[in-house]
Amino acid sequence: MGKTVAKATGIKKSYRMSKRNVVHALQGVDIEVKEGDFSAIVGPSGCGKSTLMHILGLLDRPDEGHLEIGGVDMSRLKEKKAYRMRAKKIGFIFQGFNLIPTLTAYENVLLAGKYGGQTISERKVRAKELLELLGLKDRMHHKPNELSGGQQQRVAIARALMNDPALILADEPTGELDSKTSLEIMDILKKLNREQNKTFLIVTHNMDVANACKKIIRLKDGKNAK
Amino acid sequence: MWRRKFRTFLTIFGIVIGIFAFTVMGSMALKLNRMIDGGKQYITGQISVSPKGSSYESVGGTLPVNTLNEISQVEGVKAVGATVSLTVEEQDLDNASFSMGPVPTIYGSDNQSEFKNRNWETMGMKEGKMLDKNSPDNEIAVGINIATDKKLGVGDTFNIRGRDFKVVGIVDKTMTGPDDYVFMNIAPAREMLIASNPFMKSLYDKGGLKLEDVNSMAGVSWKDGADSEVVSQKIKDQFGDQVSVMSPVKMGEMIDKASATMNSIILGSALLALIVGLFSIVNTMVMSISERTKEIGIKKALGASPRSIAWEYTLEAGVIGLLGGAIGLGLGVLAATILNNQMASKGGEIFLLEPNFLIGVVVFSFVIGIIAGVIPAIRASKLKVVDAIREL
Repeated sequence: MGKTVAKATGIKKSYRMSKRNVVHALQGVDIEVKEGDFSAIVGPSGCGKSTLMHILGLLDRPDEGHLEIGGVDMSRLKEKKAYRMRAKKIGFIFQGFNLIPTLTAYENVLLAGKYGGQTISERKVRAKELLELLGLKDRMHHKPNELSGGQQQRVAIARALMNDPALILADEPTGELDSKTSLEIMDILKKLNREQNKTFLIVTHNMDVANACKKIIRLKDGKNAK
Repeated sequence: MWRRKFRTFLTIFGIVIGIFAFTVMGSMALKLNRMIDGGKQYITGQISVSPKGSSYESVGGTLPVNTLNEISQVEGVKAVGATVSLTVEEQDLDNASFSMGPVPTIYGSDNQSEFKNRNWETMGMKEGKMLDKNSPDNEIAVGINIATDKKLGVGDTFNIRGRDFKVVGIVDKTMTGPDDYVFMNIAPAREMLIASNPFMKSLYDKGGLKLEDVNSMAGVSWKDGADSEVVSQKIKDQFGDQVSVMSPVKMGEMIDKASATMNSIILGSALLALIVGLFSIVNTMVMSISERTKEIGIKKALGASPRSIAWEYTLEAGVIGLLGGAIGLGLGVLAATILNNQMASKGGEIFLLEPNFLIGVVVFSFVIGIIAGVIPAIRASKLKVVDAIREL
């Protein structure tokens, strides 16, 4: 087994929706992600999957518990510093692709490199390589609305890979795709895991997607389910 | 997307109007200031004496030559120079037309006198020469606006009120009063003034008015070492019942006060237009940022620093300001130039387009954009990523 990429223990998080309505999204979740993992987090909607992903992705702070990424304690990390870790250590793939509509595929990928601190020439080379790797060589200079859903998601994957992150978090990566395209995307992710030893953590409620993963982590009511 | 473009267009348009107003009114203020400065320089270079009851340079009476001779005897007075001024065109109140800017004026001065304005001893000449002691009565020198407007050159003949004059000189551009003057000897000016006024004419025809008594104003210069204010006061003490005396210092203060008021009115109204433009940028940026919450969320998720987000959106507002400013400036300059060209034929330019002012306007419009953008941009940089991504 590889070394630990992310380790969370006893993570608790609640949201106060109104005075009397406090949602306990996570009530003590433990999770460990090792290098080369290809795991799915599954569970019914409202079980805290997305919240856990946001916390692992440093987009949100846990109320309680301990979080380590790449061996560094992140539990008390302030937002002012979180962005740097996010840029370098974490890649995101979202359900809705979340590409910036005014930029071309190429520019969307370049942007991630910029935030990751790459030089302009580094960025250009790497963005081209990644887009070629993902079969988007001739669609590079198109804007998102000129691309199919599958192509958009491949751009998002290229963007997530741009800074060679330790952990790639995918939130329902096939949620908006038809089953054939979903399979294609899953194949790409699996291939990246197999050939480049990329570490993936995929949040899904689609059991086909989960079954394609090496490991399944189940959540229920904000806790690890047996 | 379309909505955003349209709104950005409207905002830029708002800035365009603001900067347009600012450019046009600013240029007008600059021109007026230049004219006032010229007038101030002139008026503070001499003690001006006018007939009691008349206002500056208008014909309300005359200064008898005896009075002027007596004034020249007052202690501290160096010389007195009488002048007669009247409009080049005969005034026709039945067909009165309103014109902005200076009116072409005949300026007849007593070239035999030793009087010289302390601040305008000589006039720079573009062509030919200025009138002097030996100039005959049919010679004139003209200001640059008159020369341009009537297409006059040295040696040409210019008919004024039925009399032919020979142009012997064209005065350099002064950006102020003299640009619209026709300089001539005082005698023909006196005759034309009498001819224009039926009352004076009948008095003159009956022998009740001597030609040399027809003086609409006089400049008084003081001896070196004498205090202009003291001299003014002495003239006032002795002749206060016959003439109005305007001392250099007092007139200077009066002019400063008047021009300060005028400047604040002109610039105030232009600033008002700009403030409206400023709020319209603020509004656009707030809307644009709330519309792009998700985009900002994505950028932050990708690891954009709060500072780079704030900078990006501030700069965007700056560019909107700059774009609107540049277009507004262009239109303003265009409008001022067209109006200047039209006005030149009716009595002179009313806008002064100064490069420094124009550059300042462009920089200013950029700064306005930055100021308007900075608060919405900082708000954008503080957005919580999770909330931002969830939206939509």
